[in-house]
Amino acid sequence: MNTQFESLGRVTFVTPSGRLDFGAAPLFQSELEKALAKTPAGMVIDCAGLDYVSSAGLRVFLLVSRSAARCGIALVICSLKPAVREVFDVSGFSQIIAVCADRAAALEKMPA
Amino acid sequence: MYGTSASGLRRQLGSLNLSVRVIADRLVGSDGPYARAFENLILALIVISVLSVILEATTDLPVWAIELLRIGEIVIVAVFSFEYTLRLVAAPRKLAFVFSFYGLVDLVSIAPFFLAGLDARYLRILRVLRVLRVLKLQRRVLETTVAQRTRELAELNHVLIEAQKQLQAELDVARALQLAILPSVFPAKAGCDGAARMIPATTMGGDFYDFIELPDQRIGLVMADVSGKGVPAAFFMAVARTNLRELAIHHLDPSDCLARTNDILCTQNPMDLFVTVFYCIFDPSNGVLCYANGGHNPPFLRRAEGSIEALNGTGGLVLGAIPGVTYPSHTLQLRHADRLVLYTDGVTEAFNAADEAYGTTRLVAEIQAHGDGAAQGLIERICHSVADFAGAAAQSDDITLTVLAWYPPRATVSP
Repeated sequence: MNTQFESLGRVTFVTPSGRLDFGAAPLFQSELEKALAKTPAGMVIDCAGLDYVSSAGLRVFLLVSRSAARCGIALVICSLKPAVREVFDVSGFSQIIAVCADRAAALEKMPA
Repeated sequence: MYGTSASGLRRQLGSLNLSVRVIADRLVGSDGPYARAFENLILALIVISVLSVILEATTDLPVWAIELLRIGEIVIVAVFSFEYTLRLVAAPRKLAFVFSFYGLVDLVSIAPFFLAGLDARYLRILRVLRVLRVLKLQRRVLETTVAQRTRELAELNHVLIEAQKQLQAELDVARALQLAILPSVFPAKAGCDGAARMIPATTMGGDFYDFIELPDQRIGLVMADVSGKGVPAAFFMAVARTNLRELAIHHLDPSDCLARTNDILCTQNPMDLFVTVFYCIFDPSNGVLCYANGGHNPPFLRRAEGSIEALNGTGGLVLGAIPGVTYPSHTLQLRHADRLVLYTDGVTEAFNAADEAYGTTRLVAEIQAHGDGAAQGLIERICHSVADFAGAAAQSDDITLTVLAWYPPRATVSP
């Protein structure tokens, strides 16, 4: 698993790819927390390249969404593959984290 | 007469050859105390000889000192020659020894003396080459250092292995305790055929199942999976299981029970873990199943005639993440010989060597094909199928299954 970060204006785009499992979760979490500290207004996590998310991976999304809420940063995830989308739906995570179909929809949820 | 004395001479020569061989083995062939002492003597002589070569070349010496050095030179060459002969005798392959690096260095240290005696001034300078024998010293120091470091490494390695063993033993105990709190048999209830199995992964995981006998004669069934792995997951599993079991006895509605458990877990969660829980209460007297789902894979219901459906009502949030969450309650009517299959994602996300997941399609096919028999039999079938599929790939997650089949007493009496 590897993750790209890109800053566009006041929004940070994060594009993880590969398998987010127990082994990959700690690094992904620390990278996200670091990026969050430098983000002015919003963060979009584009999951188009994410093939698999385990429960340890879901935990990273939970912790990062808490951190974002604490810092007043809007967090949206988008472009989930069907298998990953199912994990988010079954676990109830799509109720507590904003999930959008694609980047365009995610950008609309970003603060102006 | 002559013949006899000749054979005697040969015998004497033979025994001399034998004793030289024994001496050679003692002094240069083995690693005993004699060999060590002899080696020290040679090294001391190397140092003395190099010093004397330097002394002779650089200073104006009195006659007596030159004479002393000459005598010293004869003694040194004699001992070096003796050593060279012994090494030659002891060497298993003579030619290889003569032409080896140290063999040539040894030869160069003594050859000038034999070629030209003490007076060949132009060859005397060759004696300076004896300094090369000092390399022997260096080799000795190097060998000693390497041996010492190897010994130290071996000791450290031993300490590490012992620590690892102790840690593994403690983890094994923790694992055994974790498995021991899972119920081994389904409560004896008329008309119920229930069974469960958990195959732990190599690393400590957090799956658990439970059968809870409720005060109103119904049975609570739990299937749960804690996020993450290792000791934190195992601890959280124990906390979740204990709280759920305690609350289940007092809150006889599954959604109520999950909401209360969630609130308590949110206050006892320093590691920010969470647990997916499917909790259902089954009434063996009428086949009514009430359930609520906290983020867990929906169980499969196999009807007696062979159709299979996943239980609806997914989307409830996992437990331990956010307090104050509610869980919708659902009700289902089981019919004669229906089977409920509860599982964790260790089943459907068992990977093979090609990195493919076992998946729900294969699981459904197994339930369809073997759902007629006993609950225990179906579990064994599924476990076999998963193991066959995974092959040699390491099991990364706990594999947990519970099957409940219902045979209402009235149905067995009436036609």
